[in-house]
Amino acid sequence: MAAETKPKGIDTTKNPVPFEMAQIPGPEMAKTYMPKVIAAIIKKSNRPLLVVGAELFDDPVMFDKMIELGKAGLPIAATAHSVKGFVERGYQDNVYQIGLHPLTNYLRFPDWKGLDGKGQYDTVIFMGIFYKFANAMFATLKHFNRDIKRVSIDRYYHVNANMTFGNMAFNPNDYHAAVDEIIAALKK
Amino acid sequence: MVKTEGNFAVEDMKNVQINIGAVVKEEDQWDKPMGPFPKPGVATLRNWDYTIMNRYKIMYAPADDTCTLCTYGPCDLTANIKGACGINMEGYSGKIVLIAVLMGCCAHAAHGRHLYHWCLEKFGNMKFDMGDEILVDSPIYQTIIGQKPTDLKGFGEGLAYLEEEVVQLVAATHTGQEAFYKDFESKALHAGMMDLLGMEICDMLQIVAYDMPRGAADAPLVEIGMGTLDQNKGVLIAYGHNLAAGAEAMIYAENNNLWDKVDIGGVCCTAIDLTRITETGRDSTIPKNLGPRAKVAGAMGWWRKMVRSGVMDCIMIDEQCVFCDVLEDSKKRKIPVIATTDKIMLGLDDRTNDTVDSIVADLVSFKVPGVAILDPTKAGEVAIKTAIAVKPLRAEAKTQNKMTEQQFKEALDKCTNCNQCAFVCPPHIRISNLIAEAKKGNLEAFSGMYEICVGCQRCEEVCPQGINIMDLYEFANRQYIGTQKFLMRAGRGPARDTEIRSVGAPIVLGTIPGVIALVGCSNYPKGTKEAYDMAREFANRGYIVVTSGCMAMDMSLYKDEDGKTIWEQFPGGFDGRNVCNVGSCVANANIADAAIKVATIFAGRNHRANFDDMADYILSKVGACGVAWGPYSQKAASIATGCNRLGIPVVVQPHSVMYRRSFMGRADKPEDWMVIDARDGKMQQIEPAPEAMLYIAETAEEAMIEMAKLCFRPSDNSMGRSIKLSHYCDLSMKYCGKLPDDWHIFVRDAKDLPITFKDQMMKELESKHGWKVDWKAKKFLSGPLRPADVSFDPTNIARKIRAKK
Repeated sequence: MAAETKPKGIDTTKNPVPFEMAQIPGPEMAKTYMPKVIAAIIKKSNRPLLVVGAELFDDPVMFDKMIELGKAGLPIAATAHSVKGFVERGYQDNVYQIGLHPLTNYLRFPDWKGLDGKGQYDTVIFMGIFYKFANAMFATLKHFNRDIKRVSIDRYYHVNANMTFGNMAFNPNDYHAAVDEIIAALKK
Repeated sequence: MVKTEGNFAVEDMKNVQINIGAVVKEEDQWDKPMGPFPKPGVATLRNWDYTIMNRYKIMYAPADDTCTLCTYGPCDLTANIKGACGINMEGYSGKIVLIAVLMGCCAHAAHGRHLYHWCLEKFGNMKFDMGDEILVDSPIYQTIIGQKPTDLKGFGEGLAYLEEEVVQLVAATHTGQEAFYKDFESKALHAGMMDLLGMEICDMLQIVAYDMPRGAADAPLVEIGMGTLDQNKGVLIAYGHNLAAGAEAMIYAENNNLWDKVDIGGVCCTAIDLTRITETGRDSTIPKNLGPRAKVAGAMGWWRKMVRSGVMDCIMIDEQCVFCDVLEDSKKRKIPVIATTDKIMLGLDDRTNDTVDSIVADLVSFKVPGVAILDPTKAGEVAIKTAIAVKPLRAEAKTQNKMTEQQFKEALDKCTNCNQCAFVCPPHIRISNLIAEAKKGNLEAFSGMYEICVGCQRCEEVCPQGINIMDLYEFANRQYIGTQKFLMRAGRGPARDTEIRSVGAPIVLGTIPGVIALVGCSNYPKGTKEAYDMAREFANRGYIVVTSGCMAMDMSLYKDEDGKTIWEQFPGGFDGRNVCNVGSCVANANIADAAIKVATIFAGRNHRANFDDMADYILSKVGACGVAWGPYSQKAASIATGCNRLGIPVVVQPHSVMYRRSFMGRADKPEDWMVIDARDGKMQQIEPAPEAMLYIAETAEEAMIEMAKLCFRPSDNSMGRSIKLSHYCDLSMKYCGKLPDDWHIFVRDAKDLPITFKDQMMKELESKHGWKVDWKAKKFLSGPLRPADVSFDPTNIARKIRAKK
């Protein structure tokens, strides 16, 4: 289910198999995209929200990359206890501490005012979240708030997202490079 | 109500006899007036359910997008569209939730029904007596049924009611019946309440019949771990939840002086219940002090690790939580299996009516891999005789089935690093990395992951090379599993009335910061140790920590720097800084019981047939939080749902998204947090406390912060709120390095502020949140949404208004 056109760069469209293989939900499944396409969609959105989880602790360099995205203007919802990674790095400018579960609960209501009080988001970008949990929260939005675009820039193929990478869980270098491409594109 | 049984013959009439089963006298022996809802039907408490659901919005995370329940299907329900029958995704999800909760409820209820018949058959109709220190002796039963059972037979009325409700609820799941998601959830809440009832009946029956501890804070420490089983004896394992057959095996061993030849260990909740038998030595017909003779082999999550240890000689399975391939595992290792209930028969021949000797002969000669024996007494005798006789005959099989070093190396070499195993591993263990390390001779990687592996065996199922990965774990951890020896406090049963009197006020005012109930199975996201860490964190902070079942077992497997287990670090009372093991899975009812007893003993509320009143009191005033950190089963779903109906919020681990439904509040909607002040009937906005009813946490760290938060209640006085805020903020500082973003919404008065953060917080309230502060008087001039008021009496039920007319 790879998208048709592939701009140059790390190929993130390969291996579109749910990271937990049995997570085959139904007819509507995510498409894989190249980093630049995902970056373009994020850039185009009016109210994006980067949602990052505690798996960042397993690959701490990802905190630095997420901070780069924060500096590029993406507000960050730090779920679980991941906010600690940002505190330790001295970056809290647009970082909000909230659990993924209450956050997704709010995201499904169009009248929610957002973490900054400025209104509901139109794009959420998941990253570094325990796979099964992220998958389920994407499912909530997939069924109950179709106005929010569901994007994953995690190292897994996320079947309930609209846009995702293929599985890169075992290729950390390629994965890091793919995220770097997104950072570079968003900084432009 | 009193029933008198008998029969009489009518004189002067030939060939006529009238038999009367029971004469029912309307004689009420209970001085409390009957409440409004005795034996509530499916829709009786619907208003209360809607009160809960209007505040705590139902949130679904569908695990699949299609419905395949009828022949119209499959129907794609993506984006909440309707299927052929007219049901949408919300309704379908609600239906699946209801079915799951009913499965759990029925597992406990059927367990109770079996014990009911068995106990009456074995012990006769015993008086229901929980002792002098537990006078409110079956609070859930009394709250729901409106009656006080006086003997074991009396519980039959509750079981019959429960079974009728379950039939009605199952009927509602048929295509063409219920369709609206909120009503499915109301029914699920009803099923959850039935589950509380079923669990309580189970535990009350076995406490009385088997003379288990009745609220003994000093229940004995019993041995836990595979290393506690004496391998010089025949080792019998009783696996499951229903103690009947395991207890018979123990009684047989005791009566025949066979303890020098056999050791009995339990797995899962049967383990806990076997160690509870006749510990008080009352008027039981079974041998005294039998319980501590049994050992706890371990929790259900350790099953596949334990069975590979080579320690077991015979396995008795009863019901619930038994891995479906138990026969395959045991057959491979020549361990005879005895199925003892009709819930799990595994295709084995029913040998209930055969002689003991003929069954034992077939088992010890390995002529059959196992048998079904539905008579617990016969099953117990066969099991003991088989374990003893088969032991020497299994010696070869024991060594044959244990991986040798050569086989270990060969298996490692087969790995192609394809990572298919990692794609299916629930905690995402990178098994290929462990194998790579093992190839270098480093087994520590495998050892380190042993407790994180949940033992699901999915890795083996998908390995294209056919590597028996569980065997690799076993090889690398052989020393550990064989020498695993710890202590666990035996299940003590309910909280005593005196304990409730002592902690009632501190709980309601908040000066005991909360009751943390750690329950559930062994499907932890990051290993067994999380159970220990959570218990220790909250006990050290002065919370009342209660636990049960596999979580109680799992937290026993660790020691502090002084070599003490959690049970040796903390006393076992229902009090702050205590860790209290109430017992097995069905003993979870004792936790709900304690919450009801705070309302009835401390606050003097009439709980009789008054469920919503009890739930309302608990929701508003009892700072309790359930935590199911390793739940895997539908029973866990039903327990949590029952707690939710009773007003107790629950935190679960991230795998619990598979339960599909949660209840989440919206702190941003003031209108959702309006309650009635029972003093005058006026509406009052409260802070979002508790903020959620079923909360899924991503990590243990998040869970612990949330647990502290979910103990907030509107009734907290300033000292209590200050203490609760201290722990909430301190946990956030500890695990997140900062104060939580929402601490300020729980502040009503400067006295609510934790002393350690007071100045910092007052400054922040002024600068960041615009509150007006009188710095000289150190109080707020404006800002809080309501003042702290120690006599505030929040309720969600209009009939509780006390205002004079």
